[in-house]
Formats: sequence, structure tokens, C-alpha cells
Amino acid sequence: MLKINNLNANIENKSILNGFSLDINPGEIHAIMGPNGSGKSTLSNILSGKKGYEVSGEILFENKNLFDLETEERAHKGIFLAFQYPLEIPGVNTNIFLKTSLNAIRKARGEKELDAIEFLKLVKQKAKELKFDEEKLKRQLNVGFSGGEKKKNEILQMSMLAPKLSILDETDSGLDIDALKIVADGVNTLRNKNNSFLIITHYQRLLDYIKPDFVHVLMNGKIIRSGGPELAIELEKKGYESFN
Amino acid sequence: MSEQLQSDFDKLVKTSKFSSEEIKFKKNFLDNFIKNGFPNRKQEDWKFLDISQIIKKNISDLSFFNDYSQSNKIDPSFLVDGLEHNKIIFINGKIEKIDFNFEDQNKIEIIDKTKKDISFDYENSLIDLNSAFIDKVFKILIKKNYSLKKPLIIYHLTNDKIKSTNINLRLDFELAENSCLKLVDYFANTTAKNFINIFYNFNLEKDSILKNYKIDKFRNNNLKYSFNNIEQDNNSVSETFILSAGSDYFKNEINCNLNGEYSSAFINGIFSLKENQQHEIRTTINHLVENTKSYQLIKSVLGKNSKSAYQGRIFVNSKAQKTDGYQLSKAILLDETSEFNAKPELEIYADDVKCSHGSASGSLDENSIFYLMSRGLNYQQSKELLINGFLMDVVEKITDVEIKNLIINIIGLKQ
Repeated sequence: MLKINNLNANIENKSILNGFSLDINPGEIHAIMGPNGSGKSTLSNILSGKKGYEVSGEILFENKNLFDLETEERAHKGIFLAFQYPLEIPGVNTNIFLKTSLNAIRKARGEKELDAIEFLKLVKQKAKELKFDEEKLKRQLNVGFSGGEKKKNEILQMSMLAPKLSILDETDSGLDIDALKIVADGVNTLRNKNNSFLIITHYQRLLDYIKPDFVHVLMNGKIIRSGGPELAIELEKKGYESFN
Repeated sequence: MSEQLQSDFDKLVKTSKFSSEEIKFKKNFLDNFIKNGFPNRKQEDWKFLDISQIIKKNISDLSFFNDYSQSNKIDPSFLVDGLEHNKIIFINGKIEKIDFNFEDQNKIEIIDKTKKDISFDYENSLIDLNSAFIDKVFKILIKKNYSLKKPLIIYHLTNDKIKSTNINLRLDFELAENSCLKLVDYFANTTAKNFINIFYNFNLEKDSILKNYKIDKFRNNNLKYSFNNIEQDNNSVSETFILSAGSDYFKNEINCNLNGEYSSAFINGIFSLKENQQHEIRTTINHLVENTKSYQLIKSVLGKNSKSAYQGRIFVNSKAQKTDGYQLSKAILLDETSEFNAKPELEIYADDVKCSHGSASGSLDENSIFYLMSRGLNYQQSKELLINGFLMDVVEKITDVEIKNLIINIIGLKQ
């Protein structure tokens, strides 16, 4: 599904990713763990098409060159990024935003756009599953939401849009244990043999609830070790320094 | 210009039926205007947008005489649909219709003030121009304890039958104790290169409520100046909303005197400009007694080569303890050629007051655009959604739901 070959990324002449390679097949969950400044967020930004990076190498998503696609086209093709810091968008009603987003993606996929009633039915059901307060959907997008509510809103968006590849950029940071379980449930519900996940995290904690197929250690812009879930436990015990 | 003024004034005197006393008044206004001319940037209030230069540049054949003996046909396609309302229709400066069909006729009085002294003491030569060339001056009196059932829409229409390049309008309003008026100014012009000069004088008695919504949305090449003077007695409320988007030039000026305790004034405005448009809002709120309140929120979205200015003055008299005054302006500059000017002026002589002001301007937030695009919206949709949200904040301040929905539809906002 996703093939990253020898990806290099610079920002203002500073090298962030340096020969990064990764293959993700349909149905797999990959976790990337790494210390601060190892390039985790840069990776998720580049996968989503954020501007401002100088990049070389190759990223193929379902055999298409990702660099040829704009941010919104990547979303249409099924890439979703749950933001580390979801943005507050004043004056934009959460429901309107969700409906605009969902219908933009459905339209690009050649599916019928949902009318207001169909949309509300779907969003209510998803909000209920994720124990997301429905009243918040009537409010401005992320404005005045707590850190945990913002993260849950990201997972709600993910489950509404049903992407093929979901990238969770430190979605677990700042979450209490109940919220962490809800986020994990969201991922586990969406998990099937076609959908893949890339979970970026500092800690092993989230991986107690979402069982990854592969764990990778990212340091200085490249993967220095890959393994199964046991690698996360080893990291938690020994710290990143021992891998350097 | 003074020869033109003089000869156009002579024509006006010849064709109208003014008494010699009225002519004497008018002559005096004319002389003042000839002496002072249009306001220019040397005056502090006019330093951002110099109307004297703007008129010179845009109107080559400036003239002032209109023949008000001719009637204009009302084109119903310009009227607002889907909202029951009372009407005053100005066409080319002449009042063609005053219609309060939805109201109790005993509760509203329309008084012809033309023959009275209409002088108004304000240091602004445009008021002199207005008083010299105005056709009729009416005062609309809303009687005690009466709230209009439907809003009053004042149509400001111009068409190609217009004779001169300047028209002057004036209305006086008196809101008696515990009365309420919702007033919409609706601009629709099919002419270009006219200077339209409007003056409203409001007197709000105890417990009365005025809501004035000014809608200049449809793109036109006219220049406009609108001045509202608002006098407020105890516990009266004025709410003003300005949508400043259609004309080449538009300056809205509001002078509000909070003369009575617990009176309050709310002014909210939107500039949505592009292609060389130049608009301004200038407000003066005079807090003159204790326990008065003012609140102002002005937002701009500025496209290529456009310019907006907001000058907000809050004056607090030494007697006016417990004043609560607030103003905020925000601007989104869509292009590096656009310009926003803010000049807050706070002049406070009392010590127990709460006054604050703020101003911020910048381009659209690229991170927010990235966030929306990552959810499948294209660049244009993301930009529109952000601007929509930015402006919705101001529209939400409109307290009349029916008119709020009208304005949302006119601007094309999503709720």
C-alpha cells in the first residue's frame, strides 16, 4: 500500500529525514517510536503533503507517486493524518466542516454525497461509538475543546472518513487512560484486512491497546531497528539511548 | 468647483418651492461648504482615506443639481424578497415612497422638517453640503411604547435618470420612550461615479431600542458617505451593523452620545473588499454619564489593492464612572497589495472605568489551510471556509434573527 524508498527531507537546509525507508501492506499496523527531534512529525507532514520541505527519494501510495498529489488529493485517495496539535478553526461549525470534508472525499471517489439527514445519522452513530459529546459537534471546530476532546475529534473524523491509511501523530500524548482506550477502540474498529495504520508515538502505552504488527525505532531521520511488539517493550525498559 | 456649486444652487432655488427663509439657511450651508470644500487628509479624521482626492480622481464632472419635480419609477426587482417589511424608497435622492403598511398608523408620525431649521452642529463640511442641497427632510417619530412589527427597509437606489453626480439624503428619527425600530439600509445602484451623502439623526429616548443594519454588498462604482448621529437617553440601546463591501468608496461615520445612564451602543462591521476598493468606518462613542456601555467589533477581509480603515474613538467624560468600553478590529490580508489601518483613540477622564481595545491583522493561516486540505477540501474551499468562519463571528452579533438570516444569505455565508 505505502512504499517509502530512501526519503530525504530538509527544512531550511537542516536535514530531518535521512534515507528513510518503510513498506506498509494492507491490513498492517506499524508503530514508529523515536525521541524528540528524530523526524516523526516531519514524516507525517510529508505524507500528508505539507509544503515547506525539500524532499528527495520516493513515496508510492497504491503505486502512485505521492509527490504528484496535492494534500486534498491524498485525502481523496484515502490518506488521513490525525494531527498532533489539531487546529482551532474559529467560526466554523464542526458539523459543517465534517460534512464538507466527507462529501468532498465522497465526490472525489465518485460516490453520492450525503444529504443533511444521512450525514447527521452517520455522525451521531460515530460520535456515540467514540463517546464523543454530540453537543460539541454544534460548536466551532476545536475552539474551546480540551486537549483530549481535540484528539477524540481527530479519531471521530478518521472514523467518518474511513481512510485506507491512517497516520496517528502522537495521538496518545496528553490523553488520560479513558480517552486512550476510546482512541484505541476507534482504531481497532476501523482495523480490517484492507486498512493500514502508521502510529507515531513516544511511549509504549498506546501499544497496550492497539497491537502493532511492526515496531520501528526512528533516530536521526532513519529507521535504525525494526521488530515486533516486543521491541516497544524493550525500548520502554532501556530507553532510546541504548539504541544509539 | 465653487462656480458649479453656486450655479447648481441657483437652479435648485429656481425649481424648488423654498421660502426665502429656507433659502437663507441653505445659502449659509452652501457658503460654509464653498469655504471649506470636501474634507481632506489634513484633517485627522480623514487622514487614511482623503475624500477630496478620491472625488477628484473618480468624478470628473462633479455636479449638484437634481430636479426633484420628476418622479422615478420603482423597479420591484430591487426590493428584498421573502421578508415582510415597511419601506422608504429613495431613487436618485428623491423619496418615492414611504410605506408603513405593517404598522399601527397612529403610532408613527412622519413630520416634514424641510421648513424648519435643519442645521446640525458638527465639524464636517459634508453635512453642510447635505443641508444645502437636500430636497426634503422628514422626521419619523415612533410613539411611546410602540415596537414596529416589521423592520423598515430604506432603499438607496440610483438609476441612469440621475441628473447630477451628487445626491444628498437625510432622515431624522425620534424613538419615544420604550419604542423599538429595526432599520435596514439597503444599497442597490445601477449608476456609477456618483457621490452619495447620507445623514441620519437619531434621538433615542428612555428605554428605546434602535437596530440599524447597513448593507452595501453589490459591487458598484459609486462613492458613499454615511453619517449617523445617535443621541441616547437612559437605558436606551443602539445596535449598528455595517456590511461594507459594494461601493468603490464608502465611509461610515457614527457619532454616538451616551447621555443617559445605562445606555449602551453596539457597533459591528465587516469590510469585504477587493479591486481597489477603499472603505472606512469611523466611530466616536461619547460616554457622558455613569454606567454606560459600548462594544465594537470590526473585521476586514481584503483582496488585491483594497484598503480599509477603522478609526474608533472612545471618549469617557470625568463624570462617566463605571463606563464599560470595548473595541476590537481584525483583518485578513489576502494579498500583499491590500492594506488595513486601525487607529483606536481612547480618551478617558474618569478613574473607575473598564476600557480596552485591540487590533490584529495578518494573512490566512497556512497551517489551518493545511489542516482543512488534509480533510479533502481544496485550497479554494479551505480559504472560503476560513473566511466564512472569520466573518460569521461578526454576523453572530446581530440580535435580530430574521435580519441575521437575510444578511447571511446576502453575503453567502454558511451557518
